[in-house]
Amino acid sequence: MDDRNAALRAKEDVTRRWLLGSLLTAYTASLVPWALAQPIDDRDQGAFLAISAIIAGHQALDAQLAKRLYDALIVDDKRFPSMARELLSLIDARKIEPLHLQQVLDAEKSSLAGVPRAIARAWFLGIVGSGVQARCIAYENALNATIVSDVLKPPTYAYGVYGSWAAKPV
Amino acid sequence: MPDIAVADFVVIGSGIIGSTVARKLAQAGASVLILEAGPRVTRAEIVARFRNSPRRSDWMSPYPPAPWAPHPIYQPQSNNYLVQAGPYPYEAEYVRQVGGTTWHWAAHAWRNVPNDFRIKSLYNVGVDWPLEYDDLEPYYQEAEVLMGVSGAPNTGSPRKKPFPMEPVAEPFAMRRIRERLASAYEVVTNTTARNSRTYDGRPACCGNNSCQPICPIDAQYHGGLAAHAAEAAGARLIPDANVYRLDHDEQGRISAALYYDPDKISHRVTGKTFIVAANGIESPRLLLLSASDKFPRGLANSSDMVGRNLMDHPSTSLTFDADEDLWLGRGPQSPSSIGVMRDGSFRAEHAPYRLDFTNISRVVSATSALIDQGVYGDEFARRLRYSAARELNVKNVLEILPDPNHRITLSDQKDAMGIPKPQAHYSINDYTKKGHERSQQDFRRIAELLGGSNLRFSKDGAYANNQHICGTLSMGSDPKASVCDQWARAHDHENLYLAGTGVLPTCGTCNSTENGMAVALRTVHHILFEHKASDAPASPRAG
Amino acid sequence: MTVMSFNAGLKGLLLSAIVLAAGAWSTARADSANNPDAALIERGRYLANAGDCVACHTEPGGKLMAGGLAVATPIGPIISTNITPSKADGIGDYSVEEFSAALRRGIRRDGQGLYPAMPYTSYAKITDEDVAALYAYFMQIVPSVDHKPTETALPFPFNIRFSMRVWNWLFLDAKPYTNDPAQSAEWNRGAYLTLGLAHCGACHTPRNILMAEQNSRLLAGADLGTWFAPNITSDRNSGVGLWSVEDLIHYMRDGHAHGKAQAAGPMAEAIDNSLRHMREGDLRAIASFIKTVPAIHDNADAKPAFEWGAAGGDLNAIRGVAVPTNRDQWGGEQLYNAYCATCHQAEGQGSFDGGLPSLFHNTTLGRTNTSNLVMVILDGVHREPDVDMPGFAHELTDSQIGTLANFIIRQFGNPSGSVTARQVDALRAGGESGMWMVWIARLLIVAVVLSVVGIAVTLILRGRRAERGTV
Repeated sequence: MDDRNAALRAKEDVTRRWLLGSLLTAYTASLVPWALAQPIDDRDQGAFLAISAIIAGHQALDAQLAKRLYDALIVDDKRFPSMARELLSLIDARKIEPLHLQQVLDAEKSSLAGVPRAIARAWFLGIVGSGVQARCIAYENALNATIVSDVLKPPTYAYGVYGSWAAKPV
Repeated sequence: MPDIAVADFVVIGSGIIGSTVARKLAQAGASVLILEAGPRVTRAEIVARFRNSPRRSDWMSPYPPAPWAPHPIYQPQSNNYLVQAGPYPYEAEYVRQVGGTTWHWAAHAWRNVPNDFRIKSLYNVGVDWPLEYDDLEPYYQEAEVLMGVSGAPNTGSPRKKPFPMEPVAEPFAMRRIRERLASAYEVVTNTTARNSRTYDGRPACCGNNSCQPICPIDAQYHGGLAAHAAEAAGARLIPDANVYRLDHDEQGRISAALYYDPDKISHRVTGKTFIVAANGIESPRLLLLSASDKFPRGLANSSDMVGRNLMDHPSTSLTFDADEDLWLGRGPQSPSSIGVMRDGSFRAEHAPYRLDFTNISRVVSATSALIDQGVYGDEFARRLRYSAARELNVKNVLEILPDPNHRITLSDQKDAMGIPKPQAHYSINDYTKKGHERSQQDFRRIAELLGGSNLRFSKDGAYANNQHICGTLSMGSDPKASVCDQWARAHDHENLYLAGTGVLPTCGTCNSTENGMAVALRTVHHILFEHKASDAPASPRAG
Repeated sequence: MTVMSFNAGLKGLLLSAIVLAAGAWSTARADSANNPDAALIERGRYLANAGDCVACHTEPGGKLMAGGLAVATPIGPIISTNITPSKADGIGDYSVEEFSAALRRGIRRDGQGLYPAMPYTSYAKITDEDVAALYAYFMQIVPSVDHKPTETALPFPFNIRFSMRVWNWLFLDAKPYTNDPAQSAEWNRGAYLTLGLAHCGACHTPRNILMAEQNSRLLAGADLGTWFAPNITSDRNSGVGLWSVEDLIHYMRDGHAHGKAQAAGPMAEAIDNSLRHMREGDLRAIASFIKTVPAIHDNADAKPAFEWGAAGGDLNAIRGVAVPTNRDQWGGEQLYNAYCATCHQAEGQGSFDGGLPSLFHNTTLGRTNTSNLVMVILDGVHREPDVDMPGFAHELTDSQIGTLANFIIRQFGNPSGSVTARQVDALRAGGESGMWMVWIARLLIVAVVLSVVGIAVTLILRGRRAERGTV
């Protein structure tokens, strides 16, 4: 674990760490692999971004998309910013690992259990809200598309010229 | 009430079959009017709506119903347009718009196998068709040339002439499945209305993997193209015209169609011959809505069979992880299947079925599953890539036998235009359930041959629907037991024809469009060449 | 001018070839190894392909070399003639000298001039030996077709064919190509083909007011009415100076150069009909020659046309935003995404293997002249055997095409290009009308006639005054 922390810290941009510094403790900073390329508007968005980075792993997070998702999450539930801050503190206080996060929250019937799910849906699927309130914020840039973009195009986009799908994917 | 007088043919419904009938009649010089309940659409806006959809797996989301011509939707909430009377839900999906539902299809264009026409004589189940495979063969060919169909050459349906083009290139994943199953099963390239070369001015498939709900490049044929061709041939098309009633004269001849425009103003259209082509639910609905003193049970319904014998194709499936990277999602959605169980002596005991391999990308479903499980961080990417690369699905397409208790009736609830909604009475019978049970053997064997792990069978007792609406206007030689004759002319009304999959008296194991098209083309041929008298065009149009 | 004379040896060769062939009508691919006559005919067939005679003389779906294809010009259509060996309706009665006169000097058997839509100023470069081979091919292999296409009828005064003799006197260099001893055999072959049979300058060299190619601006680019043929001189930015010989060969043989350009419109036809069938060695020769054509530079070209742009687009602006019901209100990204991105991909990057090309690093979007971009959007791209980008003329309005084109130029191309709806409208209609040329010509003639009459009257009046004896 220590080797991983050291390696991660070495990779991180010092400037970014400074910007996040007020939000993150050593523990939570170690969970944010790199992710963020732009300065953050405010502390609330910062908490959202920090949790986003934890949930998204090593995926690059587009700053403009982050802002749109954040705004949409607030529209969906105006308590979102405070819940995000609370969750970040909780993660830090109890040193919860990303892989156990949802289990722990679900098992405790935590009021914050919906927060990581909402953030995951936002980044991985590009969707905020559910039922009739659901809104699409991203499709091609949703992380589930970018994660497989070396092999697949998102449905409706052409794979290639006729017959190109017959070959084994490289 | 404004009137439109049409000399020859009024076609109700502009779907792939209605539009093709209209086109052929117009090409022969008749004056033709098509009345379509829904609006005109463009491919571009459908593509835009799909990419903007907040429900990734909801293929109806690019097709929001028009308030003046509702169609059933079930997400995010059911609009309760198709009322469910049970005991089993029949959550049919169709689209009321110019071009109809095939904007949205996977382009399967199978012919029946010859025995499908005679399951009563051969297996003592269901009914026999009032015609044989050979009667339909030239019209199958005509439909295939019209739509641009190709497929494996020998799939149990004999043909006199080759397909108009080569089969669509096989995706890598399907090739591996075919190779690894070869010892036990013959996996064939599907017969589809999808271009393997430029055809009819439309490009070859480019593997957009979104056949359902929309082919963004028109590489597959669909009703929008048929409607466009009908208009180009001289048929007149009025969209946003919700036909709610057919009137008749004292002799029982259909005299007029009445429709509402979006402002609910009624319009009256007269003509010599009427062709109802409004899909297997809306067509019987219209006939039932047209009940009168003379025909208290609705038009064409002395047999009381209108709306009855509702059939579709239910499906169950198995999802599993293969032991090699295959990457579904490259190429068309529905490339390959196994047809060995489409016919055989077992049909006396249980339903036949086709086995379909999907090539639909796993990415969205795997993402949703992983989020549900709370998988985050780098583990998410790893597991998403694993599922996208390895997850496979095989499903059955089961036959349902005609049962008069399975039917479309009129609900006492009314839709936004004040018209009684359609209501579905449906169940899955033992014959079909036994077919499902038999297919589990095949599912297991297939998974075994592909080194399958993590086997996930579809929920017991749950059957997915395939939107192949058959039987509700069954053709037959006995007017007491059927709605129309072998040329789809209503037994009860000389100038009323029915076009669409509703006339098919059994559903076999193949998607219904090609069958419905061939039957309709035979109907048009009959109208134009054999039945001279009052059905012939009044006068050939100049030019 | 008199009929061209051949040396006796060539005549002898021709006569023996014709005698040998008289008894045996061979098929298109005669056995060249054993039969020197067959070799001549095969060479003639290859040269006819290199000269792309079919481009004008065969109607799409029509009979080989039977004419009838209307070439649009600013002053009206010029209709190609039947050049099959039909005696009644084709060139069946032509001697080899007459064939040569038509081919290399634009003079018909009846003495009338051909319009330079027939690129005889280029074909003038063809050597006598190659003319003989072409003659053999046309007379012996091309099937005779008895059908006379409609005669060309340009408006006065352009219907006076005699004027073509004057034009020839001004602009025709009637000397066949001779090798430059300072250059390699390959270069000379390339020069011979480029300047002669392949007649690249017929499209790519700008013309003066009298429609003659400007030799000082060889291959510097020209407007063809709707499409334009770009600068293919050796200039690094304005031309193909930064293309490798391999790039050029791929382009001519396959219709595209990866990461640079793809052929469409008339160039796609030239490749389909002619270039892709030529021998690799000849394509290499043409490419090597092209790379030495004197550079003609346009200061507006800050970079090579293929270097512009990068992956881009503005998905964030459109995702989750419903498209407007009024189609003329769709924004550029909405149009791009719904109509183009399906193949060219959301960020303009094209498919994995480039088969569906990227829009950045693509000359179609890299030029200040945007006509070809609009033409591609209207007509699509169609090349043998399997390239079929659909055209969007029926799906998009002029206004939509303007919005779309300006968007993709900004995102993926050269920002000094722009497109207007008016431009799209004109291109849809087949280009700007050239009838103004007809009116100017007529006015000039009136002016000349009036001047001549005026001078004559003045002279006559002066003469009469002199007669009346004023001293």
